[in-house]
Amino acid sequence: MLRSPTLASALLAATLLAVVVTAARAAPVRTEHVEAELIAERTAVVPGQPLTVATRLAMDRGWHTYWRNPGDSGLPTTLAWNLPQGLSAGPIEWPAPRALPVGPLMNFGYEGEVLLLSTVSAGRDVAGGKTVTLSARADWLVCKEICIPEGADLSLTLPVADVADADPRWSGPIASARAALPRPLEGLSASALGAGREVVLTLSGKNLTGNPGEVYFFPYAAGLIEPAAKQTLTRDGDTLKITLAVANQPVGEFTRVAGVITASQGFAGQRAVTLDAPLKGSVVSGPAPPAPVVVPLSSGANSETLPLGIALALAFAGGVLLNLMPCVFPVLSLKILGFAMHGGGRAAMRLHGLAFAAGVIVSFWLLAAGLVALRSAGAQLGWGFQLQSPAVIAVLAVLFFVMALNLSGVFEFGRLVPSSLAAWDAKQPLLNDVLSGVLAVVVASPCTAPFMGAALGYALTAPRAITLGVFTALGLGMAAPYLLLAFFPHWRARLPQPGPWMQRLKQLLAFPLYGTVLWLAWVLGAQLDNDAVLRLGLSLLLVALALWAWQSRRAGASGGWTLAALASVATAAVVAWPVVAASTPGEPPRSVARDTGPWQAYAPARLAQLIADGRPVFIDFTAAWCVTCQVNKRLVLNSKEVQDAFMRSNVALLRADWTRRDPAIGQALAALGRSGIPAYVLYRPGREPLLLPEVLQQSTIQNALATL
Amino acid sequence: MILKTLGIVLALTAAQATLAATAGQSAPNFTVVDTQGKAVQLSDFRGRYVVLEWTNPQCPFVRNHYGTKNMQSLQQRWGERDVVWLSIDSSNKSSWDYMNPSKLGSWMQSQGAAQKAVLVDDDSAAAKLYQAKTTPHMFVIDPQGTIIYAGAIDDRPSTRSEDPPQARNYVQAALSQATDGKPVTTANTTPYGCSVKY
Repeated sequence: MLRSPTLASALLAATLLAVVVTAARAAPVRTEHVEAELIAERTAVVPGQPLTVATRLAMDRGWHTYWRNPGDSGLPTTLAWNLPQGLSAGPIEWPAPRALPVGPLMNFGYEGEVLLLSTVSAGRDVAGGKTVTLSARADWLVCKEICIPEGADLSLTLPVADVADADPRWSGPIASARAALPRPLEGLSASALGAGREVVLTLSGKNLTGNPGEVYFFPYAAGLIEPAAKQTLTRDGDTLKITLAVANQPVGEFTRVAGVITASQGFAGQRAVTLDAPLKGSVVSGPAPPAPVVVPLSSGANSETLPLGIALALAFAGGVLLNLMPCVFPVLSLKILGFAMHGGGRAAMRLHGLAFAAGVIVSFWLLAAGLVALRSAGAQLGWGFQLQSPAVIAVLAVLFFVMALNLSGVFEFGRLVPSSLAAWDAKQPLLNDVLSGVLAVVVASPCTAPFMGAALGYALTAPRAITLGVFTALGLGMAAPYLLLAFFPHWRARLPQPGPWMQRLKQLLAFPLYGTVLWLAWVLGAQLDNDAVLRLGLSLLLVALALWAWQSRRAGASGGWTLAALASVATAAVVAWPVVAASTPGEPPRSVARDTGPWQAYAPARLAQLIADGRPVFIDFTAAWCVTCQVNKRLVLNSKEVQDAFMRSNVALLRADWTRRDPAIGQALAALGRSGIPAYVLYRPGREPLLLPEVLQQSTIQNALATL
Repeated sequence: MILKTLGIVLALTAAQATLAATAGQSAPNFTVVDTQGKAVQLSDFRGRYVVLEWTNPQCPFVRNHYGTKNMQSLQQRWGERDVVWLSIDSSNKSSWDYMNPSKLGSWMQSQGAAQKAVLVDDDSAAAKLYQAKTTPHMFVIDPQGTIIYAGAIDDRPSTRSEDPPQARNYVQAALSQATDGKPVTTANTTPYGCSVKY
């Protein structure tokens, strides 16, 4: 029995309070794997004051729900409010997620219990003395091995009052949740640098000292960072670097790095930090450009390789035509004429012919073997690679110049060589023939490079047997005229009789050789600069002087001329040295400060960017020493019709200049299945790239552009 | 030099996928046995459009698309236009979601599915090649073997039945544009669904 009025009213108050408190809480909704309810930090809504409410999800053990970015799979929880007039709710304030691995994939979400906070604003027009009911439809995906979409209609009824007390049960947990929400870290400066397929986040600040424990970055947006990729962390005093992997299947533009960083031990006590930094540098937005599939322009047929027989026949024909090259013709034609003067018997003739052919073929084999070996050792080679080196160009120029001087009559070979060697030469005529064959090939290779780049490149990439066959056919073709004359003596009768015309022809043949020297000087100029050309010219001048002096000495002039000759040669070497020394391997091609018009320099990053932009790209693989490339460039690529066609199709034009050694270009060629130039490729958006033939015509380009 | 003046262009077979399967890449080839026990190879269908649909009847997203008949109508409509539709279940044999070929086949039949074949990728090999993440995860491949679309089936990640009919279907869009000779405007999207059970 209650005697005291205070006790009675206290009891009444307590009962009323209990009723009020009970009325404030709606019963939690129980779904198959989650218990959900709406809770509030205070016991009443106060008009004009914000109120923190939370959607509480308590998941069965082993089940999880998802963060705003669910990761590789899943769906974030959604909340749709139904609020009475005067009340509005803000977006979900997400607590820091956890990384939840699922096999090789990664999800971002929550296990156990999570409070998804929302701030409800109460306007002043919420009538006092009444209650308000906050309703929300919550939908979530809850997964363990299987996924179940669930949802619940949640509601919370609260009185409207002028003052509100803290909810005895939930104000503590809600306050902790709010304190733990990710927020910016004081004094933190963050930057993000994209480098290819990685992004490096650099964080620095006074609060980063100390051990943060396990650190993880959760991006807000999907499709930029690969969720399951390992994140590596390095520290350096008060700087942290986190390396993230760009998404394997990227979606959208990657311009900012924004998200949440969690640290198990916290940064100065704060365990979750928000981050938003612009992305500098560049990421390869997408995988590497696809390996090209080449289809013939005319038909849809698949693989069509050159039958071996045809390849060999063509190589043979090529070899025969090699005899007409300006650097080869003088040597061989003189050989043939000298042949006309040989008086030996038929058997001897055949032997001479075979020896010469052997020299030629073996030299080609050695060249091929050398190239294949270097290739296997990983060098970025193609036929003509030797011309990428200024030293080789300079040496060849000197060699041809000396030969031309010989033809012009400035000096005689015989007189240069010591008499013992000359006698030995006469005693070993067969060896002489073999060496002539070798000389012919050596002299021929720089001339073959411009025209045979692609064909020999193909041969080099074919199996060893085919390579050997093609080079043998080449050698046979080159030696063929000499062999024929050796085996069919009655043809020799058709050769003109020796006479003074031979001397004139010899002098005439010097001029193509001088022309070759000029061309080599031009190539050197393209590789280096004008100074190099001047140096080469000076060296050649001094060499000519030395040879003339030597010749004079031989012809009986005083001994002083020997010294003069030696001095000239020494000076020539000194003058030429910087040119030769400029051939450091791997040196980047010199930048050309001349107007390249619509052509940009090739760079892998530039190509990737253009492809990502969705533009068609045409790449011209060229070099100064590649005559076919130059012909194609002047006749076709730079012609008005073709340039207009490129412009109409908005094709980006890239020029890959291989005049100097460039590993990036070498790799690009290898990826296209080519080892020589010219090579032309058209990258088409949404389709596989198209490789064009080595000899271009305007119709070739136009047909290719029509397939865009 | 004569070799090239013939102007013969050599055809090289495309290299297999470098890193991941996205639009613009060559579609990696695979061989998987279907629910009838027949081995199906992707390269068999070179010259036709192919749709790869990663599926898992245990996943509510897949059930939603089949329950609303959204998936079947796409399969039917494009099957009539000679598009090869392959549904692939890459749930690993040891996973909870694994369905043996006959169960998988009968489920598809009960749904009135109209794909060309249902592949049982029980070691998840094909999924690894394409880095398939979710069910459904869709890839559309053109007759030359290039992926022209990779990602979600539509723009409404949900398990609600009202969404598939109203959503913008990316597979439908990609096939319509490609067969019309137009470029595919949306080629890469973030896929949604349950995770593939590797």
